[in-house]
Amino acid sequence: MAIAWNAFREAVRDRVLYNLVLFVLLLTAAAIFIGELSGGQERKIIVDLGLSAMLLFGVFIAIFVGVGLVYKEIERRTIYAIFSKPVGRGEFIVGKYLGLCLTLLVNVLIMGAGVSVALIYVSRGWDPLALRIWPAILLIYVELMVVTGVAILFSSFSSPALSALLTFFVFIIGHFSADLKGLANSLGSTAARLLFSGLYYLLPNLANLSQITPAAHGQVPATTQVAIALAYAGLYIVVILSAATLIFRRRNFK
Amino acid sequence: MKPVSGTRIESVLMLTVILGLAGIVGMSRWLDVKQPQSNLKVQEEVIYLNPPMVKRVSVAFNGLAADVYWMRSLQYVGKKIIDLPPNAVVNNLADLNLELLAPLLETTTTLDPQFMAPYQYAASVLPDVDIEAAIRIIKKGIEANPSSWRLYHHLGYIYWEQKDYKAASEAYGRGSQLPGAPAWMTAMKARTLTEGGSRDTAREIYARMYEEAADELVKDMARARLMELDSLDQRDGLRRGLEAYKAVNGRCPESWREMGMVLRGIGLKRDSSGAPLDPSDTPYVLVKDKCEVNLDPKSKVPVR
Repeated sequence: MAIAWNAFREAVRDRVLYNLVLFVLLLTAAAIFIGELSGGQERKIIVDLGLSAMLLFGVFIAIFVGVGLVYKEIERRTIYAIFSKPVGRGEFIVGKYLGLCLTLLVNVLIMGAGVSVALIYVSRGWDPLALRIWPAILLIYVELMVVTGVAILFSSFSSPALSALLTFFVFIIGHFSADLKGLANSLGSTAARLLFSGLYYLLPNLANLSQITPAAHGQVPATTQVAIALAYAGLYIVVILSAATLIFRRRNFK
Repeated sequence: MKPVSGTRIESVLMLTVILGLAGIVGMSRWLDVKQPQSNLKVQEEVIYLNPPMVKRVSVAFNGLAADVYWMRSLQYVGKKIIDLPPNAVVNNLADLNLELLAPLLETTTTLDPQFMAPYQYAASVLPDVDIEAAIRIIKKGIEANPSSWRLYHHLGYIYWEQKDYKAASEAYGRGSQLPGAPAWMTAMKARTLTEGGSRDTAREIYARMYEEAADELVKDMARARLMELDSLDQRDGLRRGLEAYKAVNGRCPESWREMGMVLRGIGLKRDSSGAPLDPSDTPYVLVKDKCEVNLDPKSKVPVR
């Protein structure tokens, strides 16, 4: 927990949460001006814009902060001091991961509240959509948790630049899961079919966690759908953090 | 070399920023003026990426991408209207050369098939430009939203506009069976089939369109059509009045004032010269030699 708390404090010190200022400016501008451009669709556009920005900002934080979490400790040589104490490699990885997840949680909660307030503003009063978007926000947060895990996995054995690039690719491909599966089914060669099937199951299926567009129409995902998506993401996170710990344990810091 | 003081460096840098910004503004304005007029062919260039491809590349942001395409569609039509010469009256949207509207709406509805506003736009604005695309978009919407009665209403409207009253009636009939469909959908099924070409049917359709529309252009269009229908009724009344006047006096009236009694009977609003006003409050024109009434060219009532 101490490592997680320190990682959170470091993120705050690094002014990561300053992105909220940009987010608020974006939403405020949208809430004021979008009415003239949208042909009466300002509520939908506020939700699309707000939740998309939440995901995009969150992914950038997860990638760019996530890949540096481990690397910075090694570069500053503070990792030797940490491991001289009774702290395991797994605890270190999980602690760093939870710290960034806490940062993202604060970010997402504030952004979610901002979107709800913007909705109430454009509706000139209470809007049920302000509540109905929260299951989608929960799924965005879970998606960010998966991306953070992937970033930490890559950073456990690679340089920050390469880790950031690889994590970004995973984020993009994670939204093309249906295409990967379609490709695997349509290819004639067995090897190619196996390769794409393998990629489909190995890479996180982030499309399952993407509910921004339905949320903009006021659609709330079914509880079972959310529960399965959460269980899938939870299992995926356990697997990638375990893999990251495995790799990290083999690194020599003596 | 003599060391330069920090304050002096800062002042020079500050001056560079200010002058630089002023230079950038000046150059931008110069470029705007000197830039050649953009070619219409380039402006109307078709969209390179097909809608499914746009959906793929938009990753998790397809809803936002749909919003962008939607706003682009509105601005595309809006700009065409703004670019019209002053006082120009558009009676048919095909005159605006809206070649990009169909691909823009196709992309919007592919990116977000649950987004209803573009379907209404496709039903009310697109038929004048590309009827096949309008029907294709609405049918695609019905496939993606099989329980939405509004889409059947849009489809029925397109067929009705094409005077295909049988197809319109079928569309209204199918929509009327969906949960949540209002009772007037069932009435429209019978009405479009039996009296598809009547003004009352048209009035009902445009009144529903006006109620349902969120976009101002669609509302304006429905309002204009309702004005047109009211004006057609008024002109019929005025023609009957003119015939009655001619029957009594053996000649056509020289001015509207001569028909004061008749006009009072019809119950139309009149201006200070006694001329009856159309629904856009423009005086009707009396064609003296033909005993006929016409709309003033300045009237906002559409002519078809």
